[in-house]
Amino acid sequence: MELTLVGLQNSGKTTLVGVIASGKFTEDMIPTVGFNMRKVTKGNVIMKLWDIGGQPRFRSMWERYCRGVNAIVFVIDSADHKKFDQARAELRSLLEKPQLKDIPVLVLGNKNDLDNALDVDQLIDIMDLGLYTDREVACYSISAKNQTNIDKILRWLINHSKNKR
Amino acid sequence: MDFKKDDDSDGLGALLKMDNSVLIQEARLFNETPIKPRQCRILLAKILYLLNRESNLSQRDATELFFGITKLFQNKDMSLRQMVYLAIKELSNISSDVIMATSSLMKDMQPKSDVIYRGDAIRALCKITDASMIPGIERFLKAAIVDRDSSTASAALVSSYHLYSSVKDTVRRWNNEIGEALSGKAISSNSSFFTSSSRTIVIPSSNIVQYHAAGLMYLIRQQDRMAVLKLVQNYSGSNKSGWLGSAGSSLKNNMALCMLVRYAVRVMEDDPNLVPQLHDLLKMWVAHRSDMVSLEAARAICNLKKANASQISIAVNALQKFLSSPKPTVRFAAIRTLNSLAVAYPEAVQPCNVDIEDLITDSNRSVATLAITTLLKTGNEASVDRLMEQIQEFMSEISDEFKIIVVEAVRSLGIQFPQKHAIFLNFLARILRDEGGYDLKQSVVSAIMDLSKHVPSCQEAALAHLCEFIEDCEFTKLSVRILHLLGEQGPDTPQPTIYIRHIYNRVILENAAVRAAAVNALAKFCASQKIDESLYSSIRVLLERCLDDRDDEVRDRAAWALSITNNKQARQTYIQDDSTFSLAALERKLVEYCADPEAIKTSAFSFDGVPRISRAEEKAQSQKQRNVISEVLSKPSQPSLGLKKKTSSNFGDTSPEAIGGFGPSQSEQQKELYAKQLSSIPEIAKLGAAPLFSSEPASLTEAGTEYDVACVKHVYESHIVYQFKCVNTISEQVLENVEIVMQSEEELDGQLDYELTIPVKKLVNDEPGYVYVVYSRPDQDIYPTTSFDCTLKFLVKECDPETYEPLEDDEGYEDEYSLEPTDLTEADYMQPSYIANAQNLWESFGTNGEAVETLSLTDFDTLEECVAKVVELLGMYPLEGALKTKNARAHQAIMTGAWMGKDQVIARARMTKQVKEIILELTIRSKDQDLSQQVLGAIA
Repeated sequence: MELTLVGLQNSGKTTLVGVIASGKFTEDMIPTVGFNMRKVTKGNVIMKLWDIGGQPRFRSMWERYCRGVNAIVFVIDSADHKKFDQARAELRSLLEKPQLKDIPVLVLGNKNDLDNALDVDQLIDIMDLGLYTDREVACYSISAKNQTNIDKILRWLINHSKNKR
Repeated sequence: MDFKKDDDSDGLGALLKMDNSVLIQEARLFNETPIKPRQCRILLAKILYLLNRESNLSQRDATELFFGITKLFQNKDMSLRQMVYLAIKELSNISSDVIMATSSLMKDMQPKSDVIYRGDAIRALCKITDASMIPGIERFLKAAIVDRDSSTASAALVSSYHLYSSVKDTVRRWNNEIGEALSGKAISSNSSFFTSSSRTIVIPSSNIVQYHAAGLMYLIRQQDRMAVLKLVQNYSGSNKSGWLGSAGSSLKNNMALCMLVRYAVRVMEDDPNLVPQLHDLLKMWVAHRSDMVSLEAARAICNLKKANASQISIAVNALQKFLSSPKPTVRFAAIRTLNSLAVAYPEAVQPCNVDIEDLITDSNRSVATLAITTLLKTGNEASVDRLMEQIQEFMSEISDEFKIIVVEAVRSLGIQFPQKHAIFLNFLARILRDEGGYDLKQSVVSAIMDLSKHVPSCQEAALAHLCEFIEDCEFTKLSVRILHLLGEQGPDTPQPTIYIRHIYNRVILENAAVRAAAVNALAKFCASQKIDESLYSSIRVLLERCLDDRDDEVRDRAAWALSITNNKQARQTYIQDDSTFSLAALERKLVEYCADPEAIKTSAFSFDGVPRISRAEEKAQSQKQRNVISEVLSKPSQPSLGLKKKTSSNFGDTSPEAIGGFGPSQSEQQKELYAKQLSSIPEIAKLGAAPLFSSEPASLTEAGTEYDVACVKHVYESHIVYQFKCVNTISEQVLENVEIVMQSEEELDGQLDYELTIPVKKLVNDEPGYVYVVYSRPDQDIYPTTSFDCTLKFLVKECDPETYEPLEDDEGYEDEYSLEPTDLTEADYMQPSYIANAQNLWESFGTNGEAVETLSLTDFDTLEECVAKVVELLGMYPLEGALKTKNARAHQAIMTGAWMGKDQVIARARMTKQVKEIILELTIRSKDQDLSQQVLGAIA
């Protein structure tokens, strides 16, 4: 299956991919310039993870890499309160693209180990996820650092691997 | 054609039919899962093929392809990976957002195992990156430069070489790593790997990394002569003292050593003081066991401007051994070097003559030709006959190109040994009779014409050969040229009638262009005073017949010739007039006229503004040009350097050749340009419509520094205008209020007064701006001389390197930059202009207007250097032969010029070479003695 990870810079996409792939948390401070691709085998599913840079200059390219994937993973830094508005707007404009219609979306509030992180309900609220009624949208609060809820999202993802498009 | 058969398969035929739209369709393949490596590789090959054949791919399509290709990253198929890198490199110039691949490429270049694609990833990465991204990848590139795998290290070095132009400072910081790569410490001793999907081929290490590292190291240091010197010395392997403990290692790669030889030569050219030091190195390299290094070093010595006989003999000895090498390339390189050496030092090559003669029968015709022409240059008069015979034998076996080389050699030989003209002329005539293309025939015809000019006694024979040639000549251009020559020289020969027959044959037999030229030639005969009355009237009969020609032009010319030869005065004006228009100026005026639709409608073209020059002057100019060309041709190893120097002195927006020749033709175009620039400034336009004359541009900065400033002095009746062309070479800076402060060394009150400065408001990267400084000379009869210290002053502001807009909050700061001083000397008041009848003028000035001085000079090794310096100091025009010394002991040079652009001055320099000094007697003549004395003041 193919997955694309997007989200604002410094939300933890590349780190999350590392955790999924190797089960180990490594603090990588180098921002992704462009994209990284990784293949991960989980159970009997081969996952191809497209991890796209979150800096503004790369956001226009997100759509290209989201086309035709089994699911879009949108990662948010749930402790960075200043950026929620921006994240909401970027998610909205991405999902408005006709090319991406019907692709399931997994919204992840990362870094829930930090003190001021939002919980799942707050996230759903602040990201206006209730508005997306015409497609499948799921939201989890996770921590790549403490590996909280990683097993849950993997299960969610594997469930969607059969999702033929 | 054969490949038609393949049309339906994936062969070449299918490729030829490909076009962009089909390609974009097929590119969907990239998005398929799973990836099909084989098909993708074929498709990538097609993309590469199309990009190389016609790159009219639109940016949109290219971007589409690029993003498709990024889907192929991380594939297990090595070949596919390499194709992906290649395609990305090729698309990087057309597609947008190529930066997208950065992270992925950085991952691929990480050292993992002995994978083959790391180098390719580095190359692709450096191609897609921009200056802003370099800090992010810097540490990886540094590591790659010293990587154990030589293909990775080479890729990193070569990529850095390309990056250098955009991020100089960053690449400079990698000095240590590059040095490590250069000394070869980092390279694994065993091998580098090239795998192709399943097999591994092991290639023994070639140390090629050293070659690439040497190139990059030089690029970084090239502006700093001492640093280059250190580079050469450290890696020459000769440094026994072990400087800093690390030096003394010799490079193992022969190509890298050849580069060191070249760098050494450049240092020697720039700074003669370092020559002795480096010469020992060159000597050592001549003895190197590699043919390539030895040849390169020998060639370097032969090309040195100041090599002495013993130095050259070392090189010649080495080359002599190579003449008998079993490898044709080595023989060719050796004989080619000797051939060019023979132009300047025939006597140095003579010891090799025996070996060279063996090469005349060499199976390689290129070697044989060079051998022959070398012998022609080194041979003495006695051997000429034998050689010419030998050439004759093999002329039929070589191509036109080489025949031309031989013809050129014979041409110069003919001028050298005029007594042997008969042999040369017969030889040339035989080639003329044989088959041959235009270039060959053209060179033979020119050679014969030259010969007839230099050796008057063979004029008739030469004309006869040429007449024979035009009787059966397929090249209209050559026929026309020869007919012109016949018209010029024929009437003066004892028997003009024989030529008239040949000329009139053309009128009957040839095409319109040749017929027209023939009519002109007849007209020349008719106008000549030397022919008798009966001949005159018979030529008129011939011309009358031409009135019935079917071509307009021919009839017109015939009618014109008839009408003017009727009348003595018209004959004078139209046919025998010895003056002509300055062709360059005429051409320019005509172009201007044609470009202006208003002018065409309102008035006819006016000749008023076109200067007239005498035929002799025109000839002197064209001769000069030819000499320059032949000099370049005869020294094949140097034109690139020479050319570079010429363009770097380029001033204003003119072509380099406009600057190249100084003297009377100080290109009209250039003058025009200056006049335009100067008159556009009201303060300067007041001084006069145009300057009397202008100096050659002189650079006041070293090449490649932050600011590039060159200065031209414009001389007005009572003012001197300094025009400084300033270029800001830093893209991150914009300079404002740029001015130049000139500080005179001498107290010049009342002689030279500062009037005003016109600064440049704003100077952005690479766009020249002009600063003007105006001085006046209150007393017309005093010509002050001094030296000015010049300083560039300006306000610096940081700017956006893309738009050159200054950053908003930057108020900038004042800064200054010192320039080289500029001198004001007697030469600046002298216009180097050509005087046609210098001999007569010299006599008529007489000793009343004469000033003489005798000097003893010790600074010069040769007379040639001395005369060049005299010409430079006087600022006068050297007449033909002034600069070239024929005799190493004594030489006389005549120079002409016009003081303040109007008073004619002639200088005669006689010099003799003594053991330790050169005695120079300089005589200046002009209309009065004071002026002559003033001019003489230049040599003090």
